[in-house]
Amino acid sequence: MVSIFDLLKEYIDSGRIKLDKSKVQHTYTVHDPCNYVRKSQISFGDNYGELSRWVAKQCIDESLYREMCEDYMNNLCCGAGGGAWAMPYDEERLTYGKMKVDQIRDTGAEIVIAPCHNCRDQVMKGLGDEFKKGREGFDMGNYKETLYTWELVSMALDFEPWSEAEIEAAHAERDAQFERDGVELEEEE
Amino acid sequence: MAEEAVKEIKVDRKHRKIGNIAPELADRCYTCGTCAGGCPATGLVPGWDPRKAIRAIVFGMEQEVIDSKWPWVCTLCGRCQYQCPMGITLMRTFRACRSARERDKVPGPIHKGTMMNLERGNNLGIPKDDFLFLLAELGVEMENDEEQPCPGFYVPVDKEGANVIVTINSKEPFGEPDDMKFWWKIFYAAKENWTVSSENWEGVNWGLFSGDDASMKVQVARVIENARKVKAKTILYPE
Ligand code: SF4
Ligand code: SF4
Repeated sequence: MVSIFDLLKEYIDSGRIKLDKSKVQHTYTVHDPCNYVRKSQISFGDNYGELSRWVAKQCIDESLYREMCEDYMNNLCCGAGGGAWAMPYDEERLTYGKMKVDQIRDTGAEIVIAPCHNCRDQVMKGLGDEFKKGREGFDMGNYKETLYTWELVSMALDFEPWSEAEIEAAHAERDAQFERDGVELEEEE
Repeated sequence: MAEEAVKEIKVDRKHRKIGNIAPELADRCYTCGTCAGGCPATGLVPGWDPRKAIRAIVFGMEQEVIDSKWPWVCTLCGRCQYQCPMGITLMRTFRACRSARERDKVPGPIHKGTMMNLERGNNLGIPKDDFLFLLAELGVEMENDEEQPCPGFYVPVDKEGANVIVTINSKEPFGEPDDMKFWWKIFYAAKENWTVSSENWEGVNWGLFSGDDASMKVQVARVIENARKVKAKTILYPE
């Protein structure tokens, strides 16, 4: 079992992926998902607060980084944790998120990095949509968009297409797999 | 002035359901209010906050907590538990309240999704054939992407000897398929030897949130079994 942060760090440190910090040039902040930070600390005695910021800073220049909460062990939940994104209590979820709204506004950042599906949905489609509708109490300041940590990494990637030999080998594996699974794609004309 | 009789509250510690997970801890609460003061959900459900919920349990009114909306509007974020000076496991206690809710009264889709997962391997009931076809199609799209083509890319399924096996959040194949490409592009660039399972690939464990420990364990066991089958060394849960 490996966390997304450990794997990304391994790719970056070993040079298996190369990141180009000039591709995204916006101010950004990093949200701390309860599960990766506080609850990880409570359950496993370790957390990803530092590493999560580190990965983001490999993708966008550090001068554009805006801290949301120095004391990340006590950072606030996005408001959609514990399955609340799926629960039928929308108004409670949005009201809960107002504290996150204030935090995001106060950072002045344009991009919020969310290393979690739930948090990303809450910040982008929950809080962000209310902000874009101009709802009172949901002023997120300079906010423009929310990105998954791995989405940001994929945007900053600098990579070459594979070699002919690699492509050929992959196609052979793919064709064998499609044959085994009975997958038939329509031929491109 | 007539004297009001002070009613004695009889606390039956033995028969508490919730309190039983740590009755001695709940009883240690000295009502400081640290939990309620720092809880963003305080005030969202009239009559409840974490301190009151713990007090209610201490006084044997646990059924009222279980029947209330409180344990479901609480996001189990853990702030209260992290700061409680008396070491009371509030978050664990509120999750136990969820577990004690009758299953057909679990709000929203998280219980139904859990049952769907046990039956069909993912929370949204996406059929295997549709899933495999979608992965194949998206693979072709990535190979031919105009901005950043990834020639040679495809989604390896049930690939024996893969280094990394990845779970998938069912909302993506269901409604946001292109979002799966973020990780895929990273794997392409890293030339990772990775794979996805054709069955039981769900990465969202709603049993965790609905308080259903048995189903939660079944799901975890399945993911581990999938890794064993292809002899993958590493499981990645990109949740
Ligand atoms: S923080 Fe702990 S001791 Fe204080 S009221 Fe809450 S549960 Fe009780
Ligand atoms: S775990 Fe629940 S009760 Fe505790 S601070 Fe978070 S939302 Fe409040």
